[in-house]
Amino acid sequence: MPGLDGVTIAIVLLGIGLLGLVLRRDLVMKLLSLGVVDASVILCLIALGARRQGAPPILQPSAAAPYVDPLPQALVLSAIVINFALVALALVFVMLLVERYHTTDPERIEREIAAEEEER
Amino acid sequence: MIAALLPLLHLLWGSLSLAWGRRARAIAWVALLGDVVLLGLLWPRILAGSEVRLALGGWGPGLGIAVVADKTALWFTILLVFLEGGVLSYLRRTTLAPVFFMLLHLLLGAALALLFSRDLFNIYVILELLTFVSYLLVGYERRSGQIWAGLKYLILASVGMNLYLLGVAVVYYHTGTLDLTLLSSRLPAQAPWIPLAAALLAGGIAVKAGIFLYSLWLPRAHASAPPAVSALLSGLVIKMGIVVLLRLAPIFPLRTALLVLAGLTGVAGILYAYVALDLKRILAFHTLSQIGYLLFGIGLGTPAGLLGATEYAVSHGLFKALLFLAAGTAVNATGQRAVPGLIRERHRIPRSTRLALLIGTLGIVGLPPLAGFCGKATLCADLPSAFLLALPLLFTLGTALSFSKLVPLFILSPGPSAPTGQATAYAVLGLPILLFLPAVRPLLSATEWAVALHPLPFAETIGAIVLGALAYRFFPSRRLPLPRRLFRLEEAILTLLAGVLFILVLCLVS
Repeated sequence: MPGLDGVTIAIVLLGIGLLGLVLRRDLVMKLLSLGVVDASVILCLIALGARRQGAPPILQPSAAAPYVDPLPQALVLSAIVINFALVALALVFVMLLVERYHTTDPERIEREIAAEEEER
Repeated sequence: MIAALLPLLHLLWGSLSLAWGRRARAIAWVALLGDVVLLGLLWPRILAGSEVRLALGGWGPGLGIAVVADKTALWFTILLVFLEGGVLSYLRRTTLAPVFFMLLHLLLGAALALLFSRDLFNIYVILELLTFVSYLLVGYERRSGQIWAGLKYLILASVGMNLYLLGVAVVYYHTGTLDLTLLSSRLPAQAPWIPLAAALLAGGIAVKAGIFLYSLWLPRAHASAPPAVSALLSGLVIKMGIVVLLRLAPIFPLRTALLVLAGLTGVAGILYAYVALDLKRILAFHTLSQIGYLLFGIGLGTPAGLLGATEYAVSHGLFKALLFLAAGTAVNATGQRAVPGLIRERHRIPRSTRLALLIGTLGIVGLPPLAGFCGKATLCADLPSAFLLALPLLFTLGTALSFSKLVPLFILSPGPSAPTGQATAYAVLGLPILLFLPAVRPLLSATEWAVALHPLPFAETIGAIVLGALAYRFFPSRRLPLPRRLFRLEEAILTLLAGVLFILVLCLVS
């Protein structure tokens, strides 16, 4: 679509993700927003890499045309794996907290933990 | 070759200690021995003046990941070896799951890999690995406070690393390289995108480097983690962010921003530490404040400033680790976390622990000629204007003021004896603090060495310390209306984003 390239979408997504991260009072929703932030950055990397138009970077004997820079696509692969592991690990700790406090509200968790530490 | 082998070996030790859990402790000692031997082979070559360079996989420059061992890396590897030895001795009689040792090896391996790394994306991957490992180590005991602190750390660090990755994307789009050496030659002198890239990269790293406004997760995480973990996090992991800033600062126009942040983190850290009563929280806030010296040196950008920052990072790693280990023992022995309680029960703290706390305190206030002093003296050796000298002196005064609360702890009456492992740990970390000045002689040139012996910084530092201690007699009240909400998750994310904008503005102005 003209006028709507990947970088613009990425920046909008980044804004949405950050807003969700700050405004949602629910840890699970926060982690999902974090996923949106991750996705926006990945999209930005790919879109910037493909801005100079070209063929997909696959080595073929006939392909002489300019092709898209393959490096960002390789980088993104590691970034996706890292982000996946990160959200998974975070969810494990959220599960532990939910088991103990029966809430995903960060404010309440913060208060309960502060109260516990006062007692000790 | 050795530079690539060191981190890889730690990954091997890590998986071995998981597979052969009963021998995990022995494997850790073997790993320490291996590190010392390999680094012993590497050090003479770097000291002879040559950088050891290796392109992984035999790819050409710009494509392959470059691994470079230089003098800065050398300083930090020394810190790493001492911390590894100290923490392993400290943990000698404790029961730990094999997975703890695996995490320990991953932490050390990632730190080594980062020290030798010269590639923006490689740095990103390693910093993320460090995030994972520190997150799991903070929550190792599974207490609610630790889990919550770890979770906050993970979320904030992840936002920061995403911003960093955006910066990497901008840099790569405009220059077509990720290699820092190539980048410094390809970067144009003036371009509208450079401040943006610099702000994103530096703001992202600042989350991991323990800078106030960015690292608001730090006080809670470092104060609630087990002592050995706090020692490693405060001594080593925070320094990894600093190493990256050391590499970025000469390339990007970050000097003004770093000097401003130095003042901010130094003053804010000291204020919060001054009002805090919980011993481990005091230490955690002083991590924030001492980062001020490091940013000051990096921000100056002079050879003396950079060397001073490196020296001070190493010294800070040593005494902060010692303080956290000793504080952990003191808190366990008395069951008190707050300083007044500790002072009441001081006879129950082992004497060696009290001595370790004393040495750490003397180091952190920078009493000449201990470890902290050497770095500070070098930092201020080559200032562009005498006005700037006020900042480090103010930090020294504030640190002395805040640590004056601990003075009643240092009595010489006998107490219960500490386990030999802990005493060894104190010796491993304490002796380098005491003997820092003679010990670093081989690493410095004659002129750099002369700077540390100059009488002027001696007098200035002692003056600042005495003033700080005197100030404590007149202002012992500790009620200041400091914002506490800042440390909650949402507020911390907002301040982080505001901080990135702040760096952007400072980069545009300068």
